[in-house]
Amino acid sequence: MRTRLIAAVAIFLSLGAGAFAHRLDEYLQATIITVEKDRVEVLMRLIPGVAVSSIVLASIDTNGDGVLSEAEQRTYVERVLHDQSITVDGKNAIPTLVSLKFPAIEEIKEGLGEIQIEFTLDLADGGPQRRIVFENHHQNQISAYLVNCLVPRDPNIRILTQNRNESQSFYQLNYEQPGGGSQLASLRAWSTAHGWMSSVGFTSLFRLGMRHIAEGTDHLLFLLALLLPAPLLALGSRWTGFAGARHSLLQILRVVTAFTIGHSITLALAALGLVRVPSRPIEVLIALSILLSAVHALRPLFPGREARIAAFFGLIHGLAFAATLEELGLGRWERVAGILAFNLGIETMQLIVVAAIMPSLVLFSRMKLYSVVRIGGALYAGFASLGWIAERLLGVHSSVDVVVNLVAHHAAWIAAALFLTSLGCWWLRSAFDQIDTTTAPSVSLPLTGRLPAQSINSRPIAQIE
Amino acid sequence: MIAFSRRTIPGVVALALICSSVTSAQAQTATSRIVSAANAFLSTLDEKQRQSVLFAFDDEKQRVRWSNLPTSFVPRGGISLKEMNATQRSAAMALVSSALSQKGFEKVQQIMEGDEMLKTTDNNQPPAGNNGNRPPAGDRNGPPPGNGANQPPSGGPPNGAMFGKDVYYISILGKPSEKDPWMVQFGGHHLALNITIAGERGVLTPTLTGAQPALYASKGKTVRPLGQESDKSLALLNALDENQRKQAILSYHVADLVLGPGQDGKTIQPEGLKASAMSDRQRAMLLDLMSEWADIIHKSAAVARMAELKADINETWFAWSGPTTATPGNNITAYYRIQGPHLVIEYAPQRLGGDLALHVHTMYRDPTNDYGRGLAAK
Repeated sequence: MRTRLIAAVAIFLSLGAGAFAHRLDEYLQATIITVEKDRVEVLMRLIPGVAVSSIVLASIDTNGDGVLSEAEQRTYVERVLHDQSITVDGKNAIPTLVSLKFPAIEEIKEGLGEIQIEFTLDLADGGPQRRIVFENHHQNQISAYLVNCLVPRDPNIRILTQNRNESQSFYQLNYEQPGGGSQLASLRAWSTAHGWMSSVGFTSLFRLGMRHIAEGTDHLLFLLALLLPAPLLALGSRWTGFAGARHSLLQILRVVTAFTIGHSITLALAALGLVRVPSRPIEVLIALSILLSAVHALRPLFPGREARIAAFFGLIHGLAFAATLEELGLGRWERVAGILAFNLGIETMQLIVVAAIMPSLVLFSRMKLYSVVRIGGALYAGFASLGWIAERLLGVHSSVDVVVNLVAHHAAWIAAALFLTSLGCWWLRSAFDQIDTTTAPSVSLPLTGRLPAQSINSRPIAQIE
Repeated sequence: MIAFSRRTIPGVVALALICSSVTSAQAQTATSRIVSAANAFLSTLDEKQRQSVLFAFDDEKQRVRWSNLPTSFVPRGGISLKEMNATQRSAAMALVSSALSQKGFEKVQQIMEGDEMLKTTDNNQPPAGNNGNRPPAGDRNGPPPGNGANQPPSGGPPNGAMFGKDVYYISILGKPSEKDPWMVQFGGHHLALNITIAGERGVLTPTLTGAQPALYASKGKTVRPLGQESDKSLALLNALDENQRKQAILSYHVADLVLGPGQDGKTIQPEGLKASAMSDRQRAMLLDLMSEWADIIHKSAAVARMAELKADINETWFAWSGPTTATPGNNITAYYRIQGPHLVIEYAPQRLGGDLALHVHTMYRDPTNDYGRGLAAK
C-alpha cells in the first residue's frame, strides 16, 4: 500500500511539475558496442520512463502477478533480442546471450529501473573491411535510442564510420580489421612494410577513395558525359562520325588524365589546409560541370578543349574529395599518406569504370546507332545535374538521388548490357557489310560513321591527331 | 671584516625571515588548506557522524554512489547538511569551498539554490489526488525572471525530504593527507563532485552538474547555474564555418547522456569536428568552454588541468545534436559533447519538465583518470 502511494505520488509529481530527474515518457534503450578481434560484445541498458513503464511491465510480467519471474525475464530478453535485426558484412547474425539483469519491479514502476542485457556476436573470418548493422525494432513507438561503439582495445581494429538514422534505431558500423583474407593482400603487405602507411590505414583510405568515386555518382557522371563524344568528330555545331580508334583512345586518355591532374592538385591543397572552400558552392559547381559536359555531348560546346575543361572541373571535384578526407579528421602527416592512398583509390576506380565503358564506346561510336546512346546518356546526365542544381542551390527536394542511385546500383549490369549490345550491333554490322561487299564492292570502308563523305574526312584528321 | 659581518647579519636575518615567510606561504598550498578544512570539519562531528562520513580510499562502492537523481531515489553515502548543526554545516561548506575555485563554488551554490526553488515550486502544487495532467510549471518559452512563480509558498513541504539545498551529502574517502591520495565527495540532486587530492594534484573527474530549473530568479537577479556552458557552446558553434558545422552537427538525435552515472571507464569512438580543423580562435573558444568544467576545482589544480587539455587540443572533438539557436537570455536546447584523449564533456538537455532549456544534465570525465586512478598508477 505504501509503495503504491509513493509510486502514485511519483507519477503525479513527474507528470505535474516535472520535478524528478528520471525519465518520463520514453523507453530509453542505450547500446554500447565493443568490437574485439573475433567477436562483438553488446551491452544494452533499457530504462522505461515512468509514464510508459506500465506498457513495458505488461510485456515482462505476462501473468500479471506483480513478480518478474526468471522465466518471464528470459522470455522478455529473448523478445528484445528477437526485435533486433543484426547483420555482419550483410549476413544475418544471431546474438548469443551472455547475461541479463533486472531491477526490482518497484524501480521500473518509478521510472528508475534499468534492465541490462549483454550479448555477443561471433565473427566469422571476413575481409579487412567489416560492416555491422544494428536495427532495433523493440517498442519503437515509445523508445529513444542511443547507440555508440567504444574505442577498440585491439589497436589493429580501426573504426571507419558510424552511420545512424535520426532516432538511432538504425546504426551501421564500418571498421577495418587487418588480417582477414584481404583481396588487397599484396597492397597490405606493401603498406605494412611501410609502417607509417599502415598506421594511417593506407588500405582503408585507398578503399575509401574507390568507394567515394564509385558511390559519388556525380563525379563519374561528369567524366562519362565528357567521354561520350570522345570518339567523335565535331563539325561545326554537330557531332559527326567516328574519328578513328587512335583518336578515341588518345582523347579518352587525355580527358581522364586531365581530370586526375586537376582533382589531385586541389585535393592536395585542401587536405593540407592550404585552401578552404565552403562545400555548398562546390557541390553546385560540380552539378553545373555535369550539365556542361552533358550539353557538350549533345552539341559540341568546346570541341578539342575537353581536356582543359576536364582539368578545370577536376580542380573543383578535388575540393569535394578533400571534404570527404577531412571528415576522417586526420593529422597533417597522416594526410600526406592519406591523400596518396585516397587518390590512388579514386584513380583505380576511375580506371576500372573507364576500362569497362571504353570498349563499348569505341565499338558503338562507329555506328549510326551511337547517337542514341550519346543523346540518351547526355539527357540522363543533364536531367540529373539539373535536379542536383535545384537541390543544392535552392534546397528543393528532388528525387534525383533516388533515381541516380538506382541506376548506379545496377551500373555493372548496364555496362555489361551496353557492351553486349555494342558487340551484337558490331557483329550484325560486319555481317551486313560482308554481304554488302559481295553485292556492292564500291563500299570500301565498312567501319564508317554516318556518311562516306564524313568518314573520309575523319581519316586524315585522325592521322594528324 | 668584522664590520662587514656586522653589517651583513641584519641583512641575512631579514633575508632568512623573508625566505621563511615565503616557504610558510608555500606550505600553505591548496592541498594543505583542503586538508586543514577537512580535519576542521571532521573535528566538529561526533563519533557516529564521523563513522558515517569516512570511507576507505579504495571503496569502489562508495566511489560510484552518485547520480543526477534526487537522494531519495539513489541514496548517497556520508551525511547530509540537513543532519548537521550550523557549525558542522559551515565547516562542511568550508571544506567544499577550499577544494573549489570561487567560480566553481558559486556554480555549486547556484545548483543547490535551484533545487531549493524546485522544492518551493513543488509546494505550490495542488494536493495529491488531483488529476496528474497538470502542465509543467513555468512558461514553456522560458519563464521571465521574477514572475512570482518561484516565491516561497506558505504551505508545508510535501517533498521536503527529496529536494532543497540541505539534501546534499558529504563523504571523505581515505585520510585527509598532503601526500597520500584521498577524496572528498559532495553531491545530491543534479550534483556529484568527486574530488581526488593526491599531493599537489587535484582531480575533479568524474563530476556531474545539472540544473532544474536551469533559469530562475533569485534576489531580483536571473540565475542560470549552467548558463556559461550553454552560451559559450553556442558562440563556438556560431563561429564555425559551413563546412565545419557540417562535421560538428551530428545527423541524429541524442536523447540523454551517453556516459552518465554508472558508465565509468568507457571511451566511446569520438565523433563530430576535430579541433585540428579549427582556427586558433575557435580552438581558444573551445578551451574556454571546457574551462567551465575544468575550472570548478581550485586554481592550481585547474591550471594544471587546463594545460593538459590544451596540449590535447588537436585531438579533441566537438559534436552537436539539436537546435542551433536559443532564445536570447535562455539556455540552448541541444546536446553537445567534447571529447579528447583525457576528456569527455556531455551537455544533455532533459525533456522532463516540458522545456528542454530549463532542465539540463552535464557530465565531466577523464576516462584515463576518473577518481584519480591515473594519478595513483603514476
